[in-house]
Amino acid sequence: MKKVIDFVKPAAILLLVAAVVALVLGMVDSVTRDRIAEIAEQTKTNAMQAVLPAASYEQIELGAETPADINEAYAAEGGGWVVQVTETGSQGAVTLMVGVDADLACTGISVTKSSETAGLGAIASQQSDAGEAFRSQFVGQTGTVAVTKDGGIINALTGATITSRAISTGVTSAIALCETLG
Amino acid sequence: MNAKKQLTEGLITNNPVLVQQIGLCATMAISTSLFNGIGMGLSVLIILTCCNVVISAIRKIIPGQVRLAIFVVVIAGFVTIVDLLLQAFIPALSSALGVFIPLIVVNCIIIGRAEAFSSKEGVFLSFRDGVFQGLGYTCVLVLMCLVRELLGSGTIGGGLLNGASSFITLDGTGAGFRIIPEGFGAGALVLPFGGFLTLGCLMAVMQYALRKSNEKKARKEKEVKE
Amino acid sequence: MFASIVTISLAAILTNNFIFSQFLGICPFLGVSNKMSTATGMSVAVIFVMTMASAICWVINEFLLIPFGVAGFMQTVAYILVIAVLVQFVEMFLKKAIPALYSAMGIFLPLITTNCAVLGVVLLNTQNSYGFLESVIDGFTGGIGFTVAIVLFASVRERLEFADYPKAFEGFAICLVTAALFALAFMGFSGMKIPV
Repeated sequence: MKKVIDFVKPAAILLLVAAVVALVLGMVDSVTRDRIAEIAEQTKTNAMQAVLPAASYEQIELGAETPADINEAYAAEGGGWVVQVTETGSQGAVTLMVGVDADLACTGISVTKSSETAGLGAIASQQSDAGEAFRSQFVGQTGTVAVTKDGGIINALTGATITSRAISTGVTSAIALCETLG
Repeated sequence: MNAKKQLTEGLITNNPVLVQQIGLCATMAISTSLFNGIGMGLSVLIILTCCNVVISAIRKIIPGQVRLAIFVVVIAGFVTIVDLLLQAFIPALSSALGVFIPLIVVNCIIIGRAEAFSSKEGVFLSFRDGVFQGLGYTCVLVLMCLVRELLGSGTIGGGLLNGASSFITLDGTGAGFRIIPEGFGAGALVLPFGGFLTLGCLMAVMQYALRKSNEKKARKEKEVKE
Repeated sequence: MFASIVTISLAAILTNNFIFSQFLGICPFLGVSNKMSTATGMSVAVIFVMTMASAICWVINEFLLIPFGVAGFMQTVAYILVIAVLVQFVEMFLKKAIPALYSAMGIFLPLITTNCAVLGVVLLNTQNSYGFLESVIDGFTGGIGFTVAIVLFASVRERLEFADYPKAFEGFAICLVTAALFALAFMGFSGMKIPV
């Protein structure tokens, strides 16, 4: 009999502790959940506003034959589109918002999620002068966008050709998608 | 055990990173800007203090066999709370630290202090231990950040200081103060390579300093004896 | 499918090596790399636990946490419990079934619970929303990446004993400096990918 108690008591205490923790976490979650969702929504809207300012955006249903790197596309009020694409960078996925106007020219890009090397590829997503200078190169680009090494005109970030290349690919496929939409 | 002794232990003689040599992963991974360093340091400090207090309070009813599992659950609970709060109120920090916030669960500092200290000592002592060890950790992080950020990207206080609207910002957009002109920093220092190198050198400096002070103490004692 | 598996493996072993570029699992990496035999023992245990943990945590997340709507706040707690239980279970099983293997890697097993590479790989799987097969592959190859790093490092560390360096660098300090050089070498792999 004693053996059973030896076995049950620790398990019961562990279960009790886990239950208390779960309860507390549930309470914290109920407080923070809405705010976290709101922030995610806000970040997305900010990114869309940054690449193509518009009063509102309407999500477009994408067909089954849409390329795999396109996540979402929105039609901006007053013409143009905002496309969210995901490309493979040097350290993993790079997600960016690309604004495209009615003439199929890029109006701006914003890197929303990336895990590129700090100090090199990460500059592409930073709010610094260097980051701004890199991103502004894409404004006005049409057709196929490529870095100088591949015969294009985008100056790659120092030491981050792969990140720059991934972003160029993303912009190219966003423009290509808008061509089919327009 | 008095507060002063505990403080020196946490900061210097038994510093978690430089002397106990635990919790190294996050130390190297996120110490690229002052914003990350202070954010991570304070998160660990808060979690460590809370865990120490709770574990010390329930130490009498924790059965030995499932001790580690209970520690881990308590720690994971506090880590998740901090994670959720950061996501809700300081999203910039949460996205900068990424997976390293939930990974505080397996930061050896916290489980180490639970096993070595708070599961044996009273609540108040454990509270103080949490604060001081956490401070020791934060200091090392800040030091790492200062070195890597200054030499690597040429700024001080990136992300945290000199924001567009106020001196201290919490949205991660502070430009910091540029000391070395752009493009002249040793960029490799903010790469993983720099993390290993900087921590290795800091450890060596610490070992050198501790050895010198021990030698000095030994010499003094010898003189007193003679 | 094949392409994504190769991409994941390549990233986990070389370009995004857990130790040299993501800083996960540094403590056991420095702790047990002083001898080649202990390093290989630890590696086997890590590969095993990382693969199992990736598989089990994916199932738990998909069929327990998400349906009950608690994935946001119970993930970390659930994952670490799975890992802790898994490690305990593996330990008991090995002790009974393969005593020789148990005595070879027995002491490393408890250490794995606090190896952040294990929790790290599971959390990253969820973050990257990998499917079951992708998660398992990532866990397995992540373990291989850990092995590559630790075995390479152990062989260098055995030679460090005969090296002449300042006394202040004794212990972990010189190891970290050595690891820095490794990290620099591994940076050469970054950006490597298969053309699709």
